[in-house]
Amino acid sequence: MNKRLTFHLIGNVLRMAGALMALPVLVSLIERSGDTIPLLLSMLIAMAAGTLLALIQPRRDTLRPREGFAVVAFSWILVSFFGGLPFYFSGYVPSLVDCFFETVSGFTTTGATILTDVEALPKGLLFWRSFTHWAGGMGVLVLSLALIPKMGARSIHLMRAESPGPSTDKLVPRVANNAKILYGIYVGLSALMVVALLLCGLNLYDSVVHMFGAAGTGGFGTYADSIAHFDSAAVDVVVGVFMALFGVNFSLYYFLLKRNWKTALGNSELRWYWCILLGASAIVAVNILPLYGRNFFTALRYSFFQCSSIMTTTGYATADFDKWPQLSRSLLVVLMFIGASAGSTGGGIKVIRLQLLLKSMVRDIRRTVHPKSVNTVKLDGHTVDESILSGVGGFFFAYILVLLASLLVVSLDGFTFETNFTAVVATLSNIGPGLGMVGPVGNYAAFSDVSKIVLSMCMLIGRLEIFPILMLFAPSAWKH
Amino acid sequence: MNIIIVGNGKVGYALAQYLSKDGHDITILDRSQPALTRASETLDVMCVRGNGANVKTLIEAGVENADVIIAVTGNDELNMVCCLAAKQLGAKYSIARIRDPEYTESLVLLQKKLDIDQVINPERTTAQEISRLLRFPFAINIESFAHGRVEMVEFRAEAKDPILNTPLSRLHGRFPHVQFTAVQRSGTVFIPHGASTLLEGDRVYATGDRESITRFFKQMGKDTERLKSALLIGGGHISYYLAKIIAGMGVYLRMIEIDEKKCLRLADQLDGVMVINADGTDQEVLESENVSDCGALICLTNRDEENLITGLYGVRHGVKKVIVKVNRLNATDVMEDLGIDCAVSPKLTTANAILRSVRALNASRNSVVEKVYYMLDGSVEACEFTALEGAPYLNIPLNQLNIRKGILVSVLVRDRRTIIPFGSDHIEAGDTVILVAKAGTVVNLEDAFDLTEIRK
Repeated sequence: MNKRLTFHLIGNVLRMAGALMALPVLVSLIERSGDTIPLLLSMLIAMAAGTLLALIQPRRDTLRPREGFAVVAFSWILVSFFGGLPFYFSGYVPSLVDCFFETVSGFTTTGATILTDVEALPKGLLFWRSFTHWAGGMGVLVLSLALIPKMGARSIHLMRAESPGPSTDKLVPRVANNAKILYGIYVGLSALMVVALLLCGLNLYDSVVHMFGAAGTGGFGTYADSIAHFDSAAVDVVVGVFMALFGVNFSLYYFLLKRNWKTALGNSELRWYWCILLGASAIVAVNILPLYGRNFFTALRYSFFQCSSIMTTTGYATADFDKWPQLSRSLLVVLMFIGASAGSTGGGIKVIRLQLLLKSMVRDIRRTVHPKSVNTVKLDGHTVDESILSGVGGFFFAYILVLLASLLVVSLDGFTFETNFTAVVATLSNIGPGLGMVGPVGNYAAFSDVSKIVLSMCMLIGRLEIFPILMLFAPSAWKH
Repeated sequence: MNIIIVGNGKVGYALAQYLSKDGHDITILDRSQPALTRASETLDVMCVRGNGANVKTLIEAGVENADVIIAVTGNDELNMVCCLAAKQLGAKYSIARIRDPEYTESLVLLQKKLDIDQVINPERTTAQEISRLLRFPFAINIESFAHGRVEMVEFRAEAKDPILNTPLSRLHGRFPHVQFTAVQRSGTVFIPHGASTLLEGDRVYATGDRESITRFFKQMGKDTERLKSALLIGGGHISYYLAKIIAGMGVYLRMIEIDEKKCLRLADQLDGVMVINADGTDQEVLESENVSDCGALICLTNRDEENLITGLYGVRHGVKKVIVKVNRLNATDVMEDLGIDCAVSPKLTTANAILRSVRALNASRNSVVEKVYYMLDGSVEACEFTALEGAPYLNIPLNQLNIRKGILVSVLVRDRRTIIPFGSDHIEAGDTVILVAKAGTVVNLEDAFDLTEIRK
């Protein structure tokens, strides 16, 4: 492994993360929330550490997939560590493990919290906590690629390692321009959402902070009862729809902007995504009808919001869905597994992988019936490469394996199976709330430190799609 | 510029590499996934899989906004159709590789009807390159600039040469009209300065006008005798074109080809060439043709290995000029170690030719680069520019211009006069300026100078 280059790039990312902290410092100054010092201190520490690492000059600038993976994995771990320092310095979260958990949860857009009383935190810290969602949603490295010129011709490996989905295709020839386009769309949609929330009557601070949570599909808010706090149908609809929009592959927005309607709207993943989302919403709405006085539209308001929130792996809540009937609860857990689209800010297994797994399964059945038949798996009219199919199979297996292994460790704490299982799924899929103790009104504070670290790793593994983190444990990756 | 390259073979890949470095946005189109994977992992380019003549694929690759489409697949017909389709869909300039001699004859018509802006024929270009080498048998490489007025000749410094172990500043007194532009020594290239000395075994680039260069080599005692006989191994397209070109040079030409049908056809098409039907890699055949007595041995079969071995046989038997065709672009070092100086690569030649025209296309927008020549392995390039009226660097003595590091102002041509410039010389409007620099650093003549102080 080209360690000098790896360190150099990690340093650059860390500096960038430090620079991002300037924003909450500014907010805390404006709001006079009294948390400027811890934020500023953390910012300086992160910048200093980043600069020190960036001083290491690489001898060769060959960036192979393994360096790309290592840079991404270490950057995320370090950024989460330094990003958690403000909570520690301010004294609101006295345990470093808790700080790490909370920030990992932020950057990976999970939204799982160890805070028992969110509203006690000052506004600067809350802003930073939500802002990590926004920065982590599209990717810290993608942001670096967009802003730092000349990361080299092979920086595609960095983008691949960070972008969700089975294969990363470019929209335009240069990586830097790709990153700029993606962030441009992201910023544009985010701005639209802030305007929509302002029109719903929210103040600027709440609008921006909740936009961060929805845009990154994270789920941190400023109130203990999440979006239910506003108790407004308009806010529910705006947040629900925008969450769903942020769960769509961003490339499709680029095609829309280019007026390439056919590619954008004909995309099969997009259609599956909306079918699953709307279908699940309808079923849940019917299922919870008795709870809302048999008013279908009220039920639909809550069910659509919740399905959108869970499927895009955001984790906002407008109702305590833990108290819903079993069918709805089970359906939500299924949605947790499916997740959003590839190339979006959402987590989970991703709709496109599900499609490919289903199609290969159908192919295997057909092969059993007609042993000599020759079949290919097609998606949007293109034949899917066998290497991508086997990659998806491998991903699915690794996902289940990590899930089961983590479940065993977390079970040591002795909580119910429902709590343990959904806690692992909700962190691995970057959702946040699960069922039982970690339900929409609960939190992760009661878990032991070991479990918290395991769950933090689950979040990172889920966000970076398993292999960058797992590769760190492969000895052969470190040779040469 | 937005450039689409169809066909990611050796030529396509080399083109993508150089053009991407020049700052162009490259999209590569190819049918094979492994080829695309290699390109997408090592270059900052976009890859699209599909047939280059398929309209849907071309649109997917963004043909409407393409400034240049370059079709370099192995298939002539596909290249033509691809250029035709791309032009219809909005590409502004098209370049196609067409190599079959059958098409060469009707090329003017085809080019017009298919709306192809430029046709590259690698075999013919290579044959031209070989014919130049045959004119100066001692040269490894010859490149001409300023419409043939200036020549840059690469040769190997030998023990008996009078230029060795003397500082260049002293050599300058003896050969005032020749400049030693670049030197390759043990794998690295450098631009020599006044205190540098040349050593035995160096590969030296000497630049000057044609007459001075010829005189220089005569003074050096290098053999400038005319070539009398040449032996060609392999009867492919290159051999065919080469035979046509050197037919007028009065060279006794023999051609050995293993395939009888090909021999018959060549004998039919070519006059004044002795066509021999035999295995050219067979030592007995070579001996019976008296290899050691012929002036040049040119190996042009389709297999690099056979060319190399036959070439080595020639070197061993004292043939003065051995030229070998290789398809692998990166094998030049190895051959140098084996004692074969002259290697020609149709693929590299094609890539060079296309690069030049793309550079020139780009140049017609913001500066005037006439020609780019990639030296050695492509790490150093010589660029020919025309200095434009009103440029900030005009009429300032060169020693007062801050010339950027690693760049040499090699030659100026003013009113048909070649000037090897000194610190006191200056550039005037309309001058042809030849610069030598690391590849990709100079796109515009202004890039060569640090103009911040002058602007103040």
